[in-house]
Amino acid sequence: MEEKKDRAYFRKLANQLIFDLSDEEADDIIREFETLNSQLALLDAVDTDGVEIMVYPFEDDTDFLRKDEVTNVITQEEALANVKDKIEGHFVLPRVVK
Amino acid sequence: MMIAEMVKDREGAEKRCLEAYEKAKQLQEKYNDVITFVDPTEQLKNLPEEGLMRGVPIALKDNVSTKGILTTAGSRILSNYVPVFDAKIVTKLKEAGAVVIAKASMDELAMGGTNKTCFTGASLNPWDTSRMTGGSSGGSAALVASGVVPMAIGSDTGDSVRKPASFCGIVGVKPTYGRISRYGIIPYSSSLDHVGYFTRSIKDACVALKVLAGRDDRDMTSSFREVPDYSALLNSDLHGRKIAVFGNVRDGLTNANTAKLFDDLMESLKAKGAEITVFRFDEALMKAMLPTYYLIANCEATSNHSNLDGIRFGVREPGDSMEEIMTNSRTKGFGPLIRKRFVIGSYGLFEENQERLFRKAQKVRRLIVQQLNECLKDADCLIAPASNDIAPLLNDDSRDQLSDEYLVVENHMVIGNFSGYPSMTVPMGFENGCPLGINLTCRAFDEETMFDIGRAIEEITGYENLTAEVK
Repeated sequence: MEEKKDRAYFRKLANQLIFDLSDEEADDIIREFETLNSQLALLDAVDTDGVEIMVYPFEDDTDFLRKDEVTNVITQEEALANVKDKIEGHFVLPRVVK
Repeated sequence: MMIAEMVKDREGAEKRCLEAYEKAKQLQEKYNDVITFVDPTEQLKNLPEEGLMRGVPIALKDNVSTKGILTTAGSRILSNYVPVFDAKIVTKLKEAGAVVIAKASMDELAMGGTNKTCFTGASLNPWDTSRMTGGSSGGSAALVASGVVPMAIGSDTGDSVRKPASFCGIVGVKPTYGRISRYGIIPYSSSLDHVGYFTRSIKDACVALKVLAGRDDRDMTSSFREVPDYSALLNSDLHGRKIAVFGNVRDGLTNANTAKLFDDLMESLKAKGAEITVFRFDEALMKAMLPTYYLIANCEATSNHSNLDGIRFGVREPGDSMEEIMTNSRTKGFGPLIRKRFVIGSYGLFEENQERLFRKAQKVRRLIVQQLNECLKDADCLIAPASNDIAPLLNDDSRDQLSDEYLVVENHMVIGNFSGYPSMTVPMGFENGCPLGINLTCRAFDEETMFDIGRAIEEITGYENLTAEVK
């Protein structure tokens, strides 16, 4: 049986995405989800049998294996410039192992 | 003043850029267009000798990475983020002599159409401050429309350059996918995202694309194709040009003023030598256009933004464990609209839903593009009003909500993102003193034709260098 799409369901989903929702926000998602379901009927109405998915606009190759040359180097200091807490080139986070 | 005239006026560069910087600051209280002002003094000391945009003040949407300058993407979670590198387009613009004076307001992470979801508040339309600029590149559009800068960078995933261009009475260009490097642009939906830009004339649009376009090895989707000299090629002669009216959109117009402006313009294009036909897409495909976009965009966004966790960069909220830090950072860092879209996007990516939702949408995308190809096999351009109406009032809350109404008129421009084909909005007319635009979509890498037809429209309307009267 399909899970009920209630506040708890969407909050669980949000928690898997590592954020939380207020009751009001969860209710808003329930409403949007109902609209989405009616929109999906429009999608289902299109016959896509035998149609390949289209992932990108163009399917010609624009990537290649570049030569193993060092380019666009940033320093360790730059790499950690946006980190809130750091010690000796490491991120500082709460202790995990007690 | 046009970009080419500014470049010729070498002595005026410093005064012009400092004045633009001051004007932006002066208008901020009124329009709230800017997130970060960028003092041009240092850049002016390092101007190149020559360049297609030498001494031209510009603005960047705040999802464009700028070395040493705050880059927030309109989101609280990035409200302390200072990139350590420049986006490719920033390097190109600086090499051409452009001078950045502001990082412009935008919808949070470019995921909106109102410019009301920016963490610094809504930007206001310079034609009527009770109205939206449209989004997500609203701040950039408003800075060009109010005459602060002649060019500003935006980004366009659904219509985020072309819709605000319509609401602000300026030119909004979304070139072909791969034409402009996206290296250093904070992403939304990688298969739909394009760098775009605003100008007040087609001539300026030609100059800007010459500067911005070209292959970049750091963006694997960027094209190897040569970049033409768009300015030299510009030719508004419409004899032999075939223009297809987007029949479904024309039929769906409910605003009689918009319909009349559009029909009159088609007559004028015909009088200038163009052959006008009507192309109607399969109705079922048009009805599926919005859910197709919604699913692809949200599914890709959910995955793209998993790196915003407050750990490596961005605003970190306190917590007793790493997971708690991330949860608190993401809950407080993202606005409600973003979290809603992530939840729906993640739902579409569940293993059990992927085939039915995400992959189904990707298949419908192919069918829509196939029909567009059919249209452009005969026609040089597909044309339609960019919107049914002028900019909505700020208190209209319907715009970022998913609607079950059949709204092809408001959503048709995503066809340019599905296909990657060049698409542009130019001013078409006015209602109650507020502008609205017309949208053209052409064949892949045929920006030249798009500019030619755009220029012909500009000659008909006379709306070149249109600026909102700053009261």
